[in-house]
Amino acid sequence: MNTARRLLLGLFVVFVPFISVAGQYNAILSIGDSLPEFNNLPSTLGGTLSSSDLQESVVVLVSLANHCPWVKGMDPDLVKLAKEFAKEDVRIIGLSFNHMEADRLPAMKVHAKDNGYTFDYLYDESQELGRQLGATRTPEYFVFNKERKLVYMGLLYNSPAKKSGSKIKHINGEPSEFYVRDAVTAALAGENVKVPETRAHGCTVKYVN
Amino acid sequence: MKVPSFLYTAILAGCLLCVAGLVSSTVRADDHIQLERIKYDAWQKKRVAYIPDIVVVDYWATWCVSCIERFPKMIELYHRYHKQGVRFVSMCLDERDDTPAIDRARRFLVKSNATFENYLMDENLMQAFEWLDLIGIPAVVIYDRKGVERFRLTGDNPNKQFTDEDVETAIKQLL
Repeated sequence: MNTARRLLLGLFVVFVPFISVAGQYNAILSIGDSLPEFNNLPSTLGGTLSSSDLQESVVVLVSLANHCPWVKGMDPDLVKLAKEFAKEDVRIIGLSFNHMEADRLPAMKVHAKDNGYTFDYLYDESQELGRQLGATRTPEYFVFNKERKLVYMGLLYNSPAKKSGSKIKHINGEPSEFYVRDAVTAALAGENVKVPETRAHGCTVKYVN
Repeated sequence: MKVPSFLYTAILAGCLLCVAGLVSSTVRADDHIQLERIKYDAWQKKRVAYIPDIVVVDYWATWCVSCIERFPKMIELYHRYHKQGVRFVSMCLDERDDTPAIDRARRFLVKSNATFENYLMDENLMQAFEWLDLIGIPAVVIYDRKGVERFRLTGDNPNKQFTDEDVETAIKQLL
């Protein structure tokens, strides 16, 4: 191997691990990235919410869309997750980005009430937060730790569910791996998240070009 | 009160006519627009067999509103380009055992007059997304005349989601 080749190989080995790349399934965010700032997004609970309002140790953002059968299919488990961590230092926040009427704030308020959402469900009409999160599917989860660094993104669990009519069906039967719950638990304990990224499954968020 | 026998006969005849009408319309529709199940391996082989056509694959599902909205554009492009050696294929990603959804998909294809090849991916849905390297749908993947994937148009990047124009531009580049 000549000197030039050795030099190139050396540079490759040294620098490639430091090149910033997006997540495996996310074109914008990588694990370890900071929580994007957001300001005065209107909430289904009334008023607005900004990232600077968040005081909890762990923040869970989840992109949702009222119209989406995958969101509807996993709504009961999102509500269950919120209940599970209700007494912990965790803040769960739903987000909606689409511009279709069914996904806008008035419909979000109805959806939140009908499905027992106890958490803020914010409407990001500018889609700016969605773009910064690289959120392209609903539902898609983002877990941030105390330092507001991303420690998990992707699926709620390993068997996404879709609602057809009144029936809810999981793709792989009953879920057996609970990625968000495990990530939140690890973040609360200050531990590393074992599965930091999964391929979220659901409807696509439609951004305005 | 006794019902006259001719009334029974008339009702029976009416029912038979209705059933015959329904059956014949289904057959007519299915005659030229099919939704065929396909395994991933068979799909890979089929793609190779398409060479030397340019191949435009539209990944869609009935649960995907954006897919349904943009499907007419695919039909329009098919009519514009299929005589120039461009093969259009739709690949439905509804769950393989969701019979009502598959029925809806079939009806949608008939209503859309999708006279090209229409397949239903006959695999576990999460596995199918992984094998097809899809993050979300709608997605359009375009192969050149040598069978090489040249364009993967998706909504995976919020700042670069594909448009109908992107599909046509890609086809024109390969012609």
